[in-house]
Amino acid sequence: MRIDRRRMIVLGTAGAAATLHQPLLRTAAAAQRGSSASGDELPAREASWYKKLEEDRVECELCPQACKVADMERGMCGVRENRGGTYYTLVHSLACSIHTDPIEKKPLFHVLPGEKAFSFSTAGCNVECKFCQNWEISQFRPEQVQAYNLPPEKLVAAARRNGARLTAATYGEPVVFWEYVRDVAIAANAVGVKPTVVSNGFIKEKPLREVLPLLSAIKVDLKSFRDEFYRKQVRGELEPVLKSLEVIKEIGVWLEIVVLLVPTLNDSAAEVRDLCAWVKSKLGPDVPVHFTRFHPTYRLTDLPPTPVASLERAWKIGRDAGLNYVYLGNVPGHPGENTTCPGCGEILIRRVGYRILSNRLVNGSCPDCQRSIPGVWS
Amino acid sequence: MKKLTRRELALIFGAGVLAGTAQGKVWKPSVRPGVVGLAEARAALGKPLGPEAARRAMAGALAASVGAESGAEAAVTMFSPRDIVGIKVNCLAGKYLSPRADLVEALVDLIAGAGVDRRRIIVFERSSRELQRAGFTIRESGPPYRCIGTNNDYDREPSTSGAIGSCFARMVSTTCSALVSFGVVKDHDLSGVSAGMKNWYGVIHNPNKYHDNGCDPYIADVARHPYIRNKLRLTILDGVVAQCHGGPAFRRGGIFELGMVAASTDPVAADLWAWREIEAERARRGMPTLEAAGRPVRFLASAARAGLGVDDPTKLSLVSA
Repeated sequence: MRIDRRRMIVLGTAGAAATLHQPLLRTAAAAQRGSSASGDELPAREASWYKKLEEDRVECELCPQACKVADMERGMCGVRENRGGTYYTLVHSLACSIHTDPIEKKPLFHVLPGEKAFSFSTAGCNVECKFCQNWEISQFRPEQVQAYNLPPEKLVAAARRNGARLTAATYGEPVVFWEYVRDVAIAANAVGVKPTVVSNGFIKEKPLREVLPLLSAIKVDLKSFRDEFYRKQVRGELEPVLKSLEVIKEIGVWLEIVVLLVPTLNDSAAEVRDLCAWVKSKLGPDVPVHFTRFHPTYRLTDLPPTPVASLERAWKIGRDAGLNYVYLGNVPGHPGENTTCPGCGEILIRRVGYRILSNRLVNGSCPDCQRSIPGVWS
Repeated sequence: MKKLTRRELALIFGAGVLAGTAQGKVWKPSVRPGVVGLAEARAALGKPLGPEAARRAMAGALAASVGAESGAEAAVTMFSPRDIVGIKVNCLAGKYLSPRADLVEALVDLIAGAGVDRRRIIVFERSSRELQRAGFTIRESGPPYRCIGTNNDYDREPSTSGAIGSCFARMVSTTCSALVSFGVVKDHDLSGVSAGMKNWYGVIHNPNKYHDNGCDPYIADVARHPYIRNKLRLTILDGVVAQCHGGPAFRRGGIFELGMVAASTDPVAADLWAWREIEAERARRGMPTLEAAGRPVRFLASAARAGLGVDDPTKLSLVSA
């Protein structure tokens, strides 16, 4: 079912009400009502990654778009604004979507299976995927969506009240609220909550390296293995994303990759084969790769949902390429949702959708052949 | 200000329909490709023109743009009494470099003179706050005209036009039947020129997505969307005070007194004129051309290819009042 923007706001509000409790909500509501605010009513905090240019212009150094932004203008993300030569983020602590999700929804299949992730997002995105599932928030500016003033400490406190052992910066694109991601991660780590991120990986190396050590896990959407797809369908580039994946691997933060297979655009056997070969050679066979099913939305409404046969072909290609953990997503009940031991072939974690039916892992290892299964299990 | 009731709205719409029917023929707005009407209008930065000078300039530019005897006669060829006219003003640069309120009001008077009920004339910008900062008074229902921000009232689904995919302000998609772009003559850091066509970025929800490659072909793609293309009657450029460098925000160092108001039924020609004036001032100051400064004006060629108007300088016809 499609959720339109109004419905999203209603759900977001309901979610906030359910999770934050009234005292915080009142504070938040008094501070922010975004739907009719103009940009200069938003809370502004100086951005962490940019440089000043001549004549009050700035250059953003957060993502590879490297926007050069004149006074009074914003970058492509729509959430960073130049005010008189100083660049500001307008979304720090301004969450427009919050919800407690199972970690399987991210999906992070090798991170505390069955645990809750307190998930949050702001408006804005640094690319424009024509197939964006969350375009009602990612493609809007902060003053165009209703949002709550939710500072990192309050967010983490809300997560703990809701029994979440994890936080997840997700839904929209965390790169555009990277300072908020950083500060939530610091607050979360201070109280033993594990911070995670779901991102497109389209970020410059310096800010990535600065925040990665604070994270417990990151899921990256590798939207294609073809630069042309990135340029035409995403308005980004492939190379910086591949670089991010290598940096994540180097730093050692737990990484999972999702590839949304869009019929006719990025689902050819050749492309999937190239992608899997690259993952194995550069990141290793133990990085989970999730091939997920596309549903028509936003600007790609003239394509059908991904045929299950295409997903199963990718699943087979991945395993044939030597990847140990290949999953299928958005096909509830498919065996491709389960975690299987690469050593003995036994099913270790059985899933249906976001539900865990059984988890046989013992201290992160297969109980049958004692093979260690990589991930964040405790 | 009082909001209109449903009954009042119905009466207004009904009056418009009757007035249109009474004309007894299919009304078509006049179009003069390549023609830009110009009128002198001089005032210093931050100073008003004054109502009389504003009326004279606006009427002169309008008349010159379509070869009419008067501004009133010109307005009749552009607007039907059945129209709901939206005048999009570009107020991004604040009070010093936004369309002058006295010029806008002079245009409103001319449109009203063409038989359009004043309550069906809407001056608008992205937000009410921007209008106020530029010196406009918010008027939810008029009189003497309505003046409001669209304030994030967008279509719920995106609409595609060439490379852009945007939710359009309902003001242009639904409310208005006729549109006027009322811009200023100014330099733009990325597109080179921000005059009449770039003004339409203010009616989409995601303009920040479309500033790469000199905003090309995006400016043309927004302008050729049927919501704009099929409703656009007129482009007005306030060049009383213009800016040749440092835009789109106001920068005192780039300001010059051009002393002109331009009107055209051809949005491409209007911007071509603005570009020419900006380049001329830059040359006078010994500054590099916009292209040499790294911001070539690409979008006009795309707009011309899309059939929106004339971008060939040899076919530009400047008609003085």
